[in-house]
Amino acid sequence: MDLLEYQAKNLFREMGIPILPSQTIGTPKDLKGLKIPYPVVLKSQVRAGGRGRAGGIKFAGNTIDAVAAAQTIFALPIMNEYPEVILAEAKYDANQELYLAVFLDPVARRPVLLGSKQGGIDVEATMEQMQQVIVGQEFSPFYARRLMIQMGLEGKLIHAVSNIVERMYQLFVEKDLDLIEINPLGISLGGEVMALDGKISVNDQALQRHPELLAVVNYHPHAEIKTKPTAACLETSSNKPTVSLAYADKINRQPLSVVSIGTGNMGILGNGEGLTMATVDLVVQEKGKPANCLNLRLADCIDRVNTTEGGDILPERIDQALDLLIENQQLKVILVNILGYFPEPIVLINLLIDYLKKNQRSPRPIKFVVRLVDGNTAEIQKLVGDLPIDVALSLDEAVHKAVSLAKARD
Amino acid sequence: MNLTPNSKVIIQGITNTLSTHTAFTMKSYNTNVVAGISPGEGGQAWGNIPVFDLVEQAIAQVGIVDTSIILVPPYAVLDAANEAIAAGIKQIIIVTEGMPPLDVVSLVRKAEATETLVVGPNCAGIIMPGKLLLGTHPTQFYTPGKIGIISRSNTLTYEVAWELTQAKLGQSIAVSIGCDLIVGSSFLQWLEILDEDEHTEAIVLIGEVGGGSEEAAASYIAEAIDKPVIAYVAGVHTPSARVMSHAGSLMTSRASSQQLVGAGTAASKIAAFKAADIPVADCPSAIRGLLKKVLGKK
Repeated sequence: MDLLEYQAKNLFREMGIPILPSQTIGTPKDLKGLKIPYPVVLKSQVRAGGRGRAGGIKFAGNTIDAVAAAQTIFALPIMNEYPEVILAEAKYDANQELYLAVFLDPVARRPVLLGSKQGGIDVEATMEQMQQVIVGQEFSPFYARRLMIQMGLEGKLIHAVSNIVERMYQLFVEKDLDLIEINPLGISLGGEVMALDGKISVNDQALQRHPELLAVVNYHPHAEIKTKPTAACLETSSNKPTVSLAYADKINRQPLSVVSIGTGNMGILGNGEGLTMATVDLVVQEKGKPANCLNLRLADCIDRVNTTEGGDILPERIDQALDLLIENQQLKVILVNILGYFPEPIVLINLLIDYLKKNQRSPRPIKFVVRLVDGNTAEIQKLVGDLPIDVALSLDEAVHKAVSLAKARD
Repeated sequence: MNLTPNSKVIIQGITNTLSTHTAFTMKSYNTNVVAGISPGEGGQAWGNIPVFDLVEQAIAQVGIVDTSIILVPPYAVLDAANEAIAAGIKQIIIVTEGMPPLDVVSLVRKAEATETLVVGPNCAGIIMPGKLLLGTHPTQFYTPGKIGIISRSNTLTYEVAWELTQAKLGQSIAVSIGCDLIVGSSFLQWLEILDEDEHTEAIVLIGEVGGGSEEAAASYIAEAIDKPVIAYVAGVHTPSARVMSHAGSLMTSRASSQQLVGAGTAASKIAAFKAADIPVADCPSAIRGLLKKVLGKK
């Protein structure tokens, strides 16, 4: 989950990382009550990088200019995201700009400290001078100092910047971050350091153990829809632009998410990401056109099957999954590949039969092809009757059938 | 490392539905499940498996334990693993999905310091068909044989194993190392283990998009692995948004020790295998043909 700049800076403030006086602006009118002296910088609060180049960062010397700039920024989508909030910040003249970051390197399997003496918007220049220090064991400030020396910092700056890195690391560990980045860290002529921009990404799997962060993401101070952090809010997670989330159930359970693939007419339902992706690959190889796919994540389900809490949640989950896939208006065929979960294939077939019977009023008929590992196909076809469910005993055959069906209906 | 049928196994978090199912499946596969751990529920028998509050209590009763299978909730895994390591258990398999990466890092540090083998998290564990089940692999897809499988996926492993079983290419061992980006043991470690395993004649490596472990495996195989390896990579046609989800930022993905431009996509993984002369299957059913070719050459 990516935090917006102002949310990241709130965390910086809590951790003692210096930030500029700032104010969040929900509408251009708010600028009339601006408490920061001009000139100010107005920054679009969106998750994409490259805001400056896209026109999302503007300077203003007085209220009239600021209001005009804010109006422009609010109307400007950057990577399809409109800002709900603009951050107004005092203008700062840095003598020097550094790049700092802490992230988790999956190959080293350790947090890594990154720093470049050349911070700012020129990515190539920053990369040229990029230094890294792998935090092999428990963190200690000397790791940060090592990075300072590698970066070529001298004198008082070593301590001042190292201090920032230590605080970034502490935030990284305390909040289960995937990434914390300050670019640029401004250094004034007098040697004062200032975090001029901030980027924080919280690990999605760990998010549920940070209710204060869930509240940050769900709380929109200026949005028209009033969403206050409530217990219900704590049970849902944030939305990413490319996938649609729905039906977030209890804390610690990941919600089902549909992944859009293309403009085709086939949906793929699988359990397990690798298996679902492999099934999509096979469909494309057979010249089928996938529209979307969904990972059922059935391992979650086993915990809730046959418990006294809420009975069997599997039918509900299958229904939710199919509803999500069918939201795509182009969809005509759904290929189901669920492996290793149902001891009896009949159980899955019955769930699909139930779903089709419940949704018979739908004007758009969907055909199913179900991959089974074994089972008496004749008996199953008899059970299915007239309903549009076909079965196959191998993945290749199931893909072939599904693709033929999808083509025939075009 | 003890992966023999008489090795003693405990299950941490035994009383939830998944672990109960897993415990009994393992037992019926002749795996020596000697105890279960569930704080607060010690003193009872779960089926005929004695339950203890603490790992150390179990060991006091049943003697040295070789492996622990961990099935506790995600935020409790690190503590459970720490407890197992403190009690001297040298092999830990974490089935649980959702363990925060920083917890995995903490565990990896400790495992390296104590020379403990950690498999997972978010994995189906290990199966040696006909001999031993340490995890949740559904046994019906496997049959004994000479092919070793190492995979990041759970269910895709079953798909591939089923293809091989039907082609009469049985398996010596199948290891699911876990789907997460940061895992306890890598492709490299398991390639080395299978290269030295006398029952394994060829290896199938199943990868998927995300991270750089397949690229690293490809170089390692070229340098250090003698037995033939067939690769299969899933996710060729999955949108790149998923690949980028762990990139963090442009800078960090470029600066990370992967150092490869474009690493993380299925295409880059397949290219890495091909560059190392490792045959790559287009789909699970193509693996058998490639295997027969390389086994025929021996």
